[in-house]
This record gives sequence, structure tokens and C-alpha cells, in this order.
Amino acid sequence: MAVKKDYKDQKLAEKLRDRKYYIPDSNPEFIKDVEKIGQTAAHMCYQCGTCTGSCPSAPRSSYRIRLFMRKAVLGLEEEILTDPDLWLCTTCYSCTDRCPRNLAPTDAIMAMRNLAFKRDIIPRNFLQTVQLIYKSGHGVPNNDANRAARKKLGLEEEPETTLKYPEYLPGIRKILDHYRLKENADRILAEGE
Amino acid sequence: MAEVKKNEEPRIGVFVCHCGTNIAGSIDVKAVMEYARTLPNVIVADDYQYMCSTPGQNKIAEAIAEQKLTGVVVAACSPRLHEPTFRNATKAGGLNPFRFEMANIREQNSWVHMHQPEEATAKAKDAVRIAVAKASLLEDLVPKSVPVEKAAMVVGGGVGGMQAALDLANAGIKTYLVEKSPTIGGRMSQLDKTFPTLDCSQCILTPKMVDVYRNEGIELLTYTEVEAVEGYIGNFDVTLRKKARGVITPAEAEARGIVGGGCTGCGDCVDVCPVIKPNPFELGMAPRKAVYIYHPQVSPLIYTVDFDACVKCGLCVEACGEKKAIDLEMKDELMTVKVGTVVLATGYDIFPIEKKFEWGYKNYDNVITSLEFERLICASGPTGGHLIRPSDGATPKRVAFVLCAGSRDNTGVGKPYCSRFCCMYSLKHAHQIIEKIPGVVPYIFYMDIRSFGKMYEEFYYRIQDEGAKFIRGRVANILEDPVTKNLHVNAEDTLLGRPIDMEVDLVVLAAAIEPSAETEKTRRLFGVSCSQDGWLLEAHPKLNPCGTTTAGVYLAGVCQGPKDIPDTVAQAEGAASAASIPIHRGEVELEPYFAQCMEEKCAGCGLCVNQCPYGALALVEKDGRTVMQVTEAKCKGCGTCGGFCPGGAIWMQHFATPQIVAQIDAFLLGGEQ
Repeated sequence: MAVKKDYKDQKLAEKLRDRKYYIPDSNPEFIKDVEKIGQTAAHMCYQCGTCTGSCPSAPRSSYRIRLFMRKAVLGLEEEILTDPDLWLCTTCYSCTDRCPRNLAPTDAIMAMRNLAFKRDIIPRNFLQTVQLIYKSGHGVPNNDANRAARKKLGLEEEPETTLKYPEYLPGIRKILDHYRLKENADRILAEGE
Repeated sequence: MAEVKKNEEPRIGVFVCHCGTNIAGSIDVKAVMEYARTLPNVIVADDYQYMCSTPGQNKIAEAIAEQKLTGVVVAACSPRLHEPTFRNATKAGGLNPFRFEMANIREQNSWVHMHQPEEATAKAKDAVRIAVAKASLLEDLVPKSVPVEKAAMVVGGGVGGMQAALDLANAGIKTYLVEKSPTIGGRMSQLDKTFPTLDCSQCILTPKMVDVYRNEGIELLTYTEVEAVEGYIGNFDVTLRKKARGVITPAEAEARGIVGGGCTGCGDCVDVCPVIKPNPFELGMAPRKAVYIYHPQVSPLIYTVDFDACVKCGLCVEACGEKKAIDLEMKDELMTVKVGTVVLATGYDIFPIEKKFEWGYKNYDNVITSLEFERLICASGPTGGHLIRPSDGATPKRVAFVLCAGSRDNTGVGKPYCSRFCCMYSLKHAHQIIEKIPGVVPYIFYMDIRSFGKMYEEFYYRIQDEGAKFIRGRVANILEDPVTKNLHVNAEDTLLGRPIDMEVDLVVLAAAIEPSAETEKTRRLFGVSCSQDGWLLEAHPKLNPCGTTTAGVYLAGVCQGPKDIPDTVAQAEGAASAASIPIHRGEVELEPYFAQCMEEKCAGCGLCVNQCPYGALALVEKDGRTVMQVTEAKCKGCGTCGGFCPGGAIWMQHFATPQIVAQIDAFLLGGEQ
């Protein structure tokens, strides 16, 4: 465990905090959970960086998928689940396409998001997306600009989805209700206000 | 022999090995030993820490003498490890060594059932019971000695094959060196310099090529391929295809009665030849004619006509004139040679790295492979040693080297293994451009630098000191600027934790290697196994790295697995030494597991003759009857004929039907007989 030192100045305390890796800080079961949910042998990562090199998010953010893989192998559960960067993956799967160890880093990230959500750690915009899906069947619902564009292209204003067939919306809601996704989203959003 | 020879009264001794904790860690050795005492015919049972040790072996010999044993069972490791040891101990006790039977309770038991001690012990008891059943029926056998032909063959004329051939010939053995290309020299002759000493590759190789050519003990057969192989250790009959070369040597000219004729390597034919083709030696980066040599130092210095390209205009024949060296009507010839042992040195090819499309090889002009780099930086290469960008001929100032290009790759497109010499030659490449191009910066994208050999780590130190930039990250993808043809190398500097987009002038891919195209065909001809990745399989990875499981066939160089030049030459010398042993001994002992015909049961139907994969069986007339006869030296004891014979007239020595039935009975009856 890290040695705690008290400085009156909180900035100084943060700057000088013990950053060593201590075995008691890690959860060896974490990587197993990630592999079980993500269905990929994440512990076989050899840290070549092909994932981050392929990542469209990395050059424009502090998101480093390789680091998440590393921390997962070391069982740094707290650090991973509380890191807001976890939610910067666009799930483009470029890293999964190119990983020389034939791993699916994207699926490992999604597994970690799953584990974070179980602890109510999730950005508000993701929860708002859940509410939108519940409402319309779409994470990004149709809007007037889009409708006009579709019309111009000779398409119907509404696509062949719940937007055109709202009678299927109850089915989607049933799925979300089964996993209590909407309920949890509403609750967490309300708690945050 | 043709009768079921039951021992008058079988007296079996059983010895159970602890192998330290290898066996005793999961198997109750004492319980197995006590159990053995209850088995029929078992006179004595004992256990010991290490049965293979001298005291362990003495136990066997003493028990045979004291208890007048007729058979010995040792329950220990795999027979592949210690069967010879215990056979010798059996012999030392005064019994025929084939009266010994081994029960494998380690590889096939304790090691795989480490966490199931009860079941493992029960299985060990089964194994011992089965072995005792067989040992009770074992009979005396005598190994057969066959003479060994005092000649050897080396397949592949690269540096490994050349070294093996030189060693064999210098040891007084007539050696055939077979090479598919028109010249010996192999991959090494395509290289510019060699790490870590920076010797010129050709400079150190050419003297060896000349030695091979001049050595009277070596019959050099270039432009020749192995067509068929028959026989076994000591007596291989190898059929070779001498491909039509279209050019005759001075010796061949003399045989044809042309005085002072034959190819002198003058090259007059090349000047007049109208056909232009890419030169494979230069990886297609330089032209050659339809009549050609690879490069000026070829050995033998004999031109070759490429009949796939030749238009038979006859201009070369005219230019050759009185030497009459060119014969455009030449056809392939088959020849058969008899050799005692064979060394395979079939080398490697570059993995087709264009399959990893994210790096753009063959799509982007300025992405080249390391072998192409060798030719471009070599003074005798297509650019006279000036490294250029293929797109515009300009000298590159920023060069990226991509290591592990297709190696250490588990995706299925690429190779799971480390190609082993790419780190070192890429360091050398960095040195070569720093030396030749002022202001150049080599960027080496690496995962790990594997500088494992003598003076290799020192070489790494030197190249880093010379100014090479090392970036610890595997290259994710490469994109080309369509206007400048510059390349954007995308990777992560994993030590900085930052993505990189590096614009460079030239990218060199240190492409993975794979077994040469001919390896698969050649290994099948000689009956040699390969591992999952296609490299030829050594008899034992540590204790017999030059041998194969096919007696009389040995391996040298990269065909067995990626190796640099020092390791290749060392293994070649090892293989030559191993291949010379049977030849110098003059005879080899064959395991006496031959099929035997029980003539009174044989109906002479001949059905077995065609079944035999080794051509060891024939029908003969004997006492007015037609019966089958086995050529013992050819028989490998596979049992195909024995299992097939409709009349049950074939006796498989050491694996006879009564012996196998007794083993099955012992297993199924659980010891109650």
C-alpha cells in the first residue's frame, strides 16, 4: 500500500504522492473478469503499441488502449474503472484488426466499461443515450436536417427502423427493462443532480 | 520364430522408478510395486529413486542373475528416453536385450495427471500389468547389421550445405552436393555485409565456394533437384533430375568429343541474346538475359539458358563458336546415386509480406524488404551500392526500419515465431546508411532488440552510439503521400506513451522468413517430419538437434528453424559429423522389428506385397510353393502387412499378435486371468 504523507498544500500532496505499484493495490481476479466478459485473452498482450498506433482516438485525447491492457494485466481495477479515458474508445476495432497477438482490445475495453457500469461509474452522456434509445429506439434519433437530406436524396423521411415502425418500440423497451438499463440510467442521472 | 515361443516358465522382474518427484510426486510408487508382486509370472518387484542411474541399472542386472529372470519390466519414463539404457542393463544381466519392456508412467501418466494421484496410481498399475503380460511372451531377437555406402549427399548449396559438404569430403567421404539454382552460395551470397563484424559477405563466402568447387571429394550438382528417394540408412538410392541447362561444361564437351570446348564463362553469349528478364538473384531489380549467370562470382562459372524465356534464335550458339558450349536442344536428365547418409540444408524464403496489407509492400513504391535493401546497398548490386528510393531514385534521408514484420504474429497472417536474425541485420542496415549517406537518420521501430550472440549486444551499443534512433513500438500502419511518395509511419512510442506519425523517405520491412518452397517436397521424399510451422523437425530439440527421426538423414541450417550464419555453419558441422559416423563405422544395426512370413500358413496370395509402403515384400518359389519373403533391411516393422494378411501368416517380431492380444487381455481383464 502506498505510504501516505500529509502536506497542508493539497497540490503538493498530489504532486508528491506515492506512485509505486504495490501488489495489495491490485486485484488478480480483475483480468479474469475482463477476459470472461470480453471473450479475449487480454493477459497475452505484449505491449507492442500497435493498438494505440492504430487508434483514431489516441492522437486527439489522452486515451491509451495499450495502457488499459497493461493495467488490466496488473489488476489495477480502481485505476481503470475510475479513469474517464475508458469511455473515449469509439469501438472502431482498428486495434482488433491489427493486434499481432490476435487479441480484441476493443472487447476488453467494453468489458471494463461493463464492470464500471456495475459500480455506477459511467459518463452522463452514455446514460442520456440509454434514455434516447428507450424513447425512440435510436441513440441518435432522426432530426429535421436529416429528414430534409434524406428527402433530397430521394429517400423516405424516416428510415426502416422504429422511427418508421413505432409498433416495434415496445420490444426494444422490453429488452432494456429486462436488463434494468433504463431504470439504472434514470436513477444514476437523478442521483447526480 | 514362426512359432509362438512361450517361455518355458516366464519369470518377470518389475522395477518402478520414482524419477525424483517426477513420478513419485503424483503416483504411489510403493503401491504400484506391491501390486506388481501380485501379478502372474512376477518373481521380483522393486523400486528406486532413479532407475536410470548406475545403482538402478545394477538392480536389474543383479536380479536377472539371481532370480533367473526371463523378462524385465521398468515402469519409468518414455522408451524414447531410456529404452536403450535399460536394454543395455538387461544385456548386462545376461538376457537378450529385447526381453525388456517399458511401461511409461511419466510422460503419459504422472506429468499429465499431476493433480489426480489416485487415478494416476491406478493407471500406473494398469500400465505395469500390461507390460508384464507382454514381457511374459517376449522372445530373443538379434538386430540386423547392414553395410553403409561410403558416400553422402547434401541437399542445398547455401553456406550450411557447403560447409557440411566440405566437412564430409574432408573426412574422406565422397559427397554429392545438390543445388537447385545454377550456382552455390545461397542467401548469403545476396547479402552485402554480415553482422556484427561487418565482413563483406561475398568476400568471406567466395573462398568457400571455390573450395567446394575444387574439392575432389565433392561432386557438385548445380541446377539439379531431388526427384525420388528409395532405401534406408546406409543405402539410399537417390534419383536426381539434372535440369536442362542448355550449356555444357568443358568436361562434358570433352566427353562429346569437342576438343577444347565447353563453357569458359566468357559471356559472349549474353551480349547477343535478345531476351531480357528480371534477375531473381537481384529480386527482380536488375535485368538478365535468357542466357545468364546470377552474378560474377558464381560457382561453377557456367552459363545457364532459361528455356522458359529462350526464343531459340541461335545467336548465342554462333557467338560461342568453336567452343560449342551451347546446346539448345538439351533435355532434363535423370541420374541415380547411392549414398549412406543425407544432410538436408534447404534454407528459407522471405514471407510474402504484402499479405500484411497495412504496411503497403508492393502497393507503395518506397516500402522495400530487407533483402531488397541488401541488394540496393551492395556495391555489386543493381545500383552499385547507392541506396535509392524506388519511386524517384533519390537518396533517402529518413529511413524507417520495421522489425518483427510478420514475425511474432499470431493472427494467422504472419509467423508466430521470432525470425531471429532481423534485429541484428536491421542494426547493421542502420550502420550501413549512416556510413554511406551523410545526415541520414535511421529510425528503428522495435518491440525487443534480441542481440543474443557473441559480440551482438556490443554491436547494438555501437549502432546506438552511431546515431540510430530506437522507437519502442510496433508499426500499426503505413500511409503514402500520393504526391511526394513519402511514407507516414504510424505507431506508438510505448515508452513515451504517445502515438507517432513519422514522415520518412523509405521504409525497410524486416520481413519474417519461412521454409523455402522446396522444403516440403524434399522432406516428404526423405520421410522427415516437420513442426507446425513447416521447419524440419530435429530428433530432439536439445540433445539431438542435427538428427531427424529418420535414421541417416540430418539437418543443417535454417531448414530446421531460423538461424544466423554462425549458428548455421555450426549446425552444418554438427550434421556433417553425425552423418559421417555411420559411414566411418561401415555398418549400422537395424532394430529387428521385421515382419516374418510363417511359410506353412502363407497361401502365396501376394495381397500383402502391394500393401507394403517400403517395397520390402516379394513372392518367391520355395519347396514347390509360392510364399512371401521379407527383405529385412527394407522392412520398417510398420505392421501394415501383419494386420492385413487374411491368413494370419505374418509374424511381426516384437509386436506379434499373441503379445498384443495378451496386452489387451491384461488391460480388459484387470489382471484376472
